[in-house]
Amino acid sequence: MENHLISLMLVAPFVGAVLQALLPAGTGARTFGRSTARLVALGASLISSLAGAALVFSMQTHTADLQMIESHPWIGAYSIQYAMGMDGLNAPLVLLLSILFPILIAAEWDRPRGERGVHGLFLILQAALVGAVCAQDIFLQFFFWTLSALPFYFLVGVWGGKRRESAAFRLVVTSAIGNALLLAALILIYHSIEPHSFLIQDLAGGKLVGKTFDFLGYTLSVPSVAFILIGAGLALRIPIWPVHGWFTLVSEEAPMTVVVALSAITVPVGAYIFQRLGYSLFPATFLHFAPAIVVVGAVNLVIGTICAIAQRDLRTLLAYICLVQLGLVLVGMGSLSSPGTVGAIYLQLVMGLGIAGFGIFANSILQRTGMSWFFDEEGKRTLGGVALQAPALATVAALAVASLLGVPGFGGFVGSTLVVIGSYSVSPGMVVLACVATLLSGYYLFTMYRNVFLGEASSELSSAKFQDLTFGERAYLLPLVGCLLFFGLYPKPLIELVRPTVLTLLSTIK
Amino acid sequence: MREFVLILPEVILAVTLAFVVVAELTYHGEQLRFVTVSTLLGLVAAFVQTFTTYRHVPVAVFSGAVSIDGVSLFFKLLSIALAGLSIVAASHSEEIPPGRRTEFSALVLAATLAMCLAASASDMLLIFLSLQLLNIVVFFIAGYGKRSLFSIEAGVKYLIFSGVAGVLLLYGLAVLFSITHSLNIYEAHRAFMVASVPRTQVLIIFMLIFLSLGSQVAGFPMYLWAPDVLEGAPTPASGFIVVATRMTGFAIAIRFLIGVFAQSSLTNGNWEIVGDFNWPTIVAVVSGITMLVGSFLALRQNRAKRMVGCLAITQSGFLLLGILVLDQVGVAALLYNLVIELFAFVGIFYILSYFYEQLHSDNLNDLRGMLNQSVPECICLVLFLLCLVGMPPAPGFIGKFTLIGAIVRHQWWGLATLAILSSALSTVAIARLAFHLIGDATLLKKFQSESRSFERKAFLVVLLVPMLLAGLFANSVLNWAGKSLSYILW
Repeated sequence: MENHLISLMLVAPFVGAVLQALLPAGTGARTFGRSTARLVALGASLISSLAGAALVFSMQTHTADLQMIESHPWIGAYSIQYAMGMDGLNAPLVLLLSILFPILIAAEWDRPRGERGVHGLFLILQAALVGAVCAQDIFLQFFFWTLSALPFYFLVGVWGGKRRESAAFRLVVTSAIGNALLLAALILIYHSIEPHSFLIQDLAGGKLVGKTFDFLGYTLSVPSVAFILIGAGLALRIPIWPVHGWFTLVSEEAPMTVVVALSAITVPVGAYIFQRLGYSLFPATFLHFAPAIVVVGAVNLVIGTICAIAQRDLRTLLAYICLVQLGLVLVGMGSLSSPGTVGAIYLQLVMGLGIAGFGIFANSILQRTGMSWFFDEEGKRTLGGVALQAPALATVAALAVASLLGVPGFGGFVGSTLVVIGSYSVSPGMVVLACVATLLSGYYLFTMYRNVFLGEASSELSSAKFQDLTFGERAYLLPLVGCLLFFGLYPKPLIELVRPTVLTLLSTIK
Repeated sequence: MREFVLILPEVILAVTLAFVVVAELTYHGEQLRFVTVSTLLGLVAAFVQTFTTYRHVPVAVFSGAVSIDGVSLFFKLLSIALAGLSIVAASHSEEIPPGRRTEFSALVLAATLAMCLAASASDMLLIFLSLQLLNIVVFFIAGYGKRSLFSIEAGVKYLIFSGVAGVLLLYGLAVLFSITHSLNIYEAHRAFMVASVPRTQVLIIFMLIFLSLGSQVAGFPMYLWAPDVLEGAPTPASGFIVVATRMTGFAIAIRFLIGVFAQSSLTNGNWEIVGDFNWPTIVAVVSGITMLVGSFLALRQNRAKRMVGCLAITQSGFLLLGILVLDQVGVAALLYNLVIELFAFVGIFYILSYFYEQLHSDNLNDLRGMLNQSVPECICLVLFLLCLVGMPPAPGFIGKFTLIGAIVRHQWWGLATLAILSSALSTVAIARLAFHLIGDATLLKKFQSESRSFERKAFLVVLLVPMLLAGLFANSVLNWAGKSLSYILW
């Protein structure tokens, strides 16, 4: 069955972004041009999201085959194809993109200046990430993945805080280096097999095993070098300790919604690309490096947890939570057991939802008080007692925190439990480590919650009226909270979609 | 008569040039505005005429002195397009004052004529003469801002470098002539193959000619003119100079290096070197050093125009990769890159000239905060620059990818690593510029009233759209470049 829903999902945001640039400008707060542009942005994003949801719901379960395939030649001379498709590995990511982007655009609805630019860049980002998730040709995937770095540069550079210059500069430099490494891997892979190809299905199944190339007199193995290059290239785009410095800086300086787009959407997509390429292109190499991946994940988990305990700012706390969650995903991925891998994929979705919930309530607090920190430099509480004045906001925050903690009944519980079960096969020590990390996450998340929402209001807050969630905010937070609960209470359909693909891939690895 | 029809594009250019010169003598005052229009009309006519010539290729006319083939038509189309875009860009700029636009148009037309002649020249003397014509005209264009010391320095520097390069070329051609006794490069090639020339003699001939062409394309070790000339020349003129000189250099390099020093190999679409002198290694070394030097220099610059000049050096290093692999894929990739860089360079210097007009400086510190002041221009500038260095996913990336792919096919792994490294370094240089563009908006003076905002945006769209289309339909452009090569007289 050939349908063009994936292309629709890709093209609609692009068209929306172009319209943002072309629609007549309005100057006042409520001019016709301005409201039209906003509605067009939301509409374009929603069309893409509905197409994504329709795709995921119409997928067949109990099969590991690639579905919804679209394929056309693009650059024939280099056998580069526009090849798109979905299977259990990327379906959760498509859901994540579909859920979060309209919410982000809605969250930037009332930006006082330049909301059109923010919307346009978010739409380009949505299209780029959809392309990176669905592409079945590594050139195409690389193309969209690198495209996704550009909007961040402008989003941070134009709308960021005081240190936005250095944040944007570090963002661009690290992603340029990461992309260069990926490109090197791409060229290496392309030229090592005959006939040259970029299609994942042509490269999959150990076609690269045993290929070597000569470099400065040394004979090197193609899969090992390409795998290391891909791993390093992606590590520079998603926060892996010790190269996460740019990430925390960007988290401090970027607008809150941009931080959400980076940590809740781009990071899971980066993890997905690593998983997709690692599992299908280099099965033997992945098996060989699996313990190292688990160690990297565990280090991320530990360092993220320790740093998160020390944070007094919602922004940096969010950054380290992202590190912790990514560590869990990597542990699950490297465990190479069926529950661990399914858990890692599930966690990619729910970590995105949880972090987005966290980021959006932090955004609401930031908009109302102008503060994202809950202790000032002298250790005095700056927020507090928000729950009394804004019960709805406190409820949403509690739900997001619960999911990040892994409380039963929330999405995070399913994901992290599966990862912990799966990691037992690697070593029992991992289970202990993961449990301690979860306990500590209870500590820092509840400390944050207590200091922001409970207790007495600080002197600054008690004088001013703290407004609860507006109708618009409730409207876009409802789907997010609903999804968090749904994926926690009824994970079966999604897991049935993911499991066959995982089992097939794992069988080729072992 | 047929020969005359085949060189009709050049004839049209010459007639337009004559008309512009006469117009300058007879018209004064506000009538001068018509010069831009009439120049553009002449260029469009030449462009269309070049297209119609495609029916006759390949053919050699004027006793083999001029080859009308796929490559020459390709370069003619690019040259004429470049001239048209530069004249429009200059007409938006105050650096070329309205009263002196006629001179500028005449100079650009003369340079275009020289570029077209050089692209189709297959006679050594014609190659030499058309290069000299181009270089003398470029000397005038570079020194055009005669009140500015920088511009005079640029002109003189270019004159000296092109003079040295011309002498080197002449010596090289003379030594070659003493062996082959023919000025036609195809006959010279045949004579060269039969005569067993000593290695040292080939080395001398090759090095003399290659150094001269190296100066033309701003390659190591003759690259030193590029940053100074591009910085000193009036900004819209820099955009013309950087493309015109290097493009002509590559046109001659393709025809001459491959035409004389290589022959068709048994496998289709490949060439192999004549004799046992392995000149691609020399080109490889030069290309590697050029890429690295250019990108490191670009990292250190504090002026935007100089930085772009250094990036042009890097770009030349990249393009040399397309020649040294000696196959059609590589040369087609080179041609594809030239298409992309034509739009990118004109766009970059166009926007820099707009900034220069507003700020009277291209110092990076003075550009701070521009992103808040003029958003579309800054975004376009960053896009053009990224496209130029081939950062994915800009269209230039496909060009770089095809070039790197071409050398990897021939197992030049070290060179490929250098290429990727210098690409990343150039991106960092651009990130530095972009970092300054963000800056602090409060420091910036308010701009003068926007008189030409719409025209400027329209021209940027004219530059951006073909560039993006060339990336999206890379297949068709690469096919066109490949076809041009198959219709070539070797």
